[in-house]
Amino acid sequence: MTFTTPRPGPGSRSPGLRISRHGSTLISISLALLLAAVLGFVMSTRSSQIGSPLNAGLDFTGGTSLQLELRCAASGCDSDQRFGVAAVRQFLADLPLPPVDSHPVDLGNASIQVLDGGAGLVVRSAALHPSQTKLLVEKLDARFGPIDQAGIQLDSIGPLLGAELLRSSVVALLVAFAAVAAYIAIRFSPIYASLALAALVHDVLIVCGLFAWLGLLLGVEVDSLFAVALLTLAGYSVNDSVVVFDRIRETGRLEPGLSLREQVDRSVTASLSRSINTSATTELPIIALAIFSSGGLQWFGVALAFGIAVGTYSSLCFAPPLLLLLLKRGRLGRQAEA
Amino acid sequence: MLALILALVLAASGLLTYKPLQLGLDLQGGSQLTARTFSDDPAVVIDADGLNAVKEVVRRRIDGLGLSQTTVQVAGKDKIIVQLPGSGEQQADLDRAARQITQKAFLQFTVQQADSTEQYDEFNAQRARLRALLSRELANLQGAEDTALNAATLAQSRERATSLAVELDAVERSIATLFDSRALTGEDLSRAIAAPVPESNGLSYQLNLTFTPKGGQTFADITKEVAGDPEGRRIGIVLDGRSISEATVGAEFRAAGITGGGARITGNFSEAEARNLEVQLQVGSLPYDVEILESRSVGASLGADNVRRSLAAALSGLLLVALFMVVVYRLPGVVAVIALSIYALLNLSVYALIPVVLTLPGIAGFILSFGMALDANVLISERTREELRAGNSLYRSVEAGFNRAFSSILDGNVTTLISCVVLGYLGSGLVRGFAITLGIGVALSMFTALTCSRTLLRLLLMYSGLRQLRFFMAAR
Repeated sequence: MTFTTPRPGPGSRSPGLRISRHGSTLISISLALLLAAVLGFVMSTRSSQIGSPLNAGLDFTGGTSLQLELRCAASGCDSDQRFGVAAVRQFLADLPLPPVDSHPVDLGNASIQVLDGGAGLVVRSAALHPSQTKLLVEKLDARFGPIDQAGIQLDSIGPLLGAELLRSSVVALLVAFAAVAAYIAIRFSPIYASLALAALVHDVLIVCGLFAWLGLLLGVEVDSLFAVALLTLAGYSVNDSVVVFDRIRETGRLEPGLSLREQVDRSVTASLSRSINTSATTELPIIALAIFSSGGLQWFGVALAFGIAVGTYSSLCFAPPLLLLLLKRGRLGRQAEA
Repeated sequence: MLALILALVLAASGLLTYKPLQLGLDLQGGSQLTARTFSDDPAVVIDADGLNAVKEVVRRRIDGLGLSQTTVQVAGKDKIIVQLPGSGEQQADLDRAARQITQKAFLQFTVQQADSTEQYDEFNAQRARLRALLSRELANLQGAEDTALNAATLAQSRERATSLAVELDAVERSIATLFDSRALTGEDLSRAIAAPVPESNGLSYQLNLTFTPKGGQTFADITKEVAGDPEGRRIGIVLDGRSISEATVGAEFRAAGITGGGARITGNFSEAEARNLEVQLQVGSLPYDVEILESRSVGASLGADNVRRSLAAALSGLLLVALFMVVVYRLPGVVAVIALSIYALLNLSVYALIPVVLTLPGIAGFILSFGMALDANVLISERTREELRAGNSLYRSVEAGFNRAFSSILDGNVTTLISCVVLGYLGSGLVRGFAITLGIGVALSMFTALTCSRTLLRLLLMYSGLRQLRFFMAAR
């Protein structure tokens, strides 16, 4: 695939792609995607297993996740050495864990997942104290071991921290939105700032929608890395919108005689190959990240890769038609030209 | 300009050879505890000094564990983060550290109130009964794993043990209420040593305390107060509101009290309990309460695996991007790849210089900033092409490409930088790590894209062999 087809520049007479002609179609596509996202949130909230718009993981809800691997995993375990879900469940239900800080702990309803056909194990439960996880590892080692001590991953998060993480992420996101909007309002105009925000909300909602569906269908959980991905996409989305706006402003300055419709068409056309090529180059390392990483980082890669595609789409096919729509409806033309 | 770039590249390579990158927990293996300081009294506000005082105590207690390369930091308004190195016994280390930092270890020497002997005897009998029941229940639970008891019996036993522990705690607190504090606390100790005492059923542990001179005097005064007391009043040692040991003082100390500046606590200590208490008493008590919010631990081989995967992702990503740039943009693409390599090198050396502790989200930020750095090069190359298509000369087109792409690059990067700054300030650990690497990346990419690319391209265009349209775009 190459993007070297000559395209008309700003000085050329014939605009290639007339985005303005397909405005209503493009906005409808976005609305359909948004609707699908909202549907995902509703389904997820009504689902008895999830009960919230997104399938929140350990980082937000609190709890303990203990992942371990048998020492024989490197060379290949015999069938009688492997973890079996039923055996582990029975073992955990009978395991006496001493109470710490007078919190009794029963592992009877912990969730158990077997990895690599039984060579690895993930146990998830209510938040355990380090002394309880230490004991848990010792007991599992004695019963099912030997366990590879260097291959243990433990994440234990109290509910307090999860709530705080959620709050601080949301606050950070909102403050970042406001600061970026203020910058665009000063450098461009308030109407561009609101459009950039609209594109941003569009992108963030659609990515969240994808993960609501992934949570419903595949049980994918959103963790703090997902929050990081959203924050990144926010920055990326605004960046993309700004480049297109910058182009519209420049076209307006160089050829003031053109109608706004014409300006937008030409600017989107001129930005097209840049936007697609930039997305492609950004996607390449991210897709590499998604392929080579495992666990949470993999879904982080998926969120970023999908989000960047959506962000590119919104900067070209959602924000510009919306600009035209707003100007037509609200006679805000003068403000936009300021 | 070329000289500056060369100097920077040399300095960066030198720096990286002498100062290796710091890897975070998830890449190196190790454990981390996040704890919160708080006070039950709503009137007490813990300020920065208070938090630092807690940190100091925590640091010295963690040092007492005898592990190398531990770090203790404050985070936010009320948090302490403790990091422990990876080891073969990571879970046990984590457990010891958690116990060390959550126990306040506020030791008080107290004197029994008048007319409380009857109540004391009652509580004491209760305590003895509860202790016996609890130890039997725990022994039951311990043995239950071998004999296959059914789950219901086991759950009952566990519940009984829990409620016994709660009751015992309450009785120990009740005993403490019968005692009045005196001006002698853990602060007045100069030394505390755990020592084994042989007993009929194995070893038990006691703590040998040495007072400061002033503390020794106070201890003598207190013991004199109850020496040979007709009521049988006792000296009590109270730890965090629970009485752990009470003793009568013989009539022979009535004249001067117990002098010599030492005391012994004989409680029901296991070796681990005694050793923990030893460190805590040596270091001093925590001024506020501390609770564990989060514990994470990553095995060393998992960390190494993460490093391998990230490296593979970064290298293959870089390679693919390089290929793409050269195929699509030709000569400016080659220049962009060189600029990007310089960018990666400078980025890493800034990480080493600050230093930035590299974590998985940090690496993700770095990889993403690759993409953002490329954006600038793509913008410039696209603009150059537009100028060429409009029929401008090669040299003019290149210059115009840089000039006209500038405002887009500036606005795009400034907006990203703004969000990085906000996230860096407001975000929590993970988010901050990401914001820092992305922010550094974006700032540096402005330099490499605008300066390095431009200088290199100008340099290359001095050779007439390269001044041909086909090195910039496909023929029409």
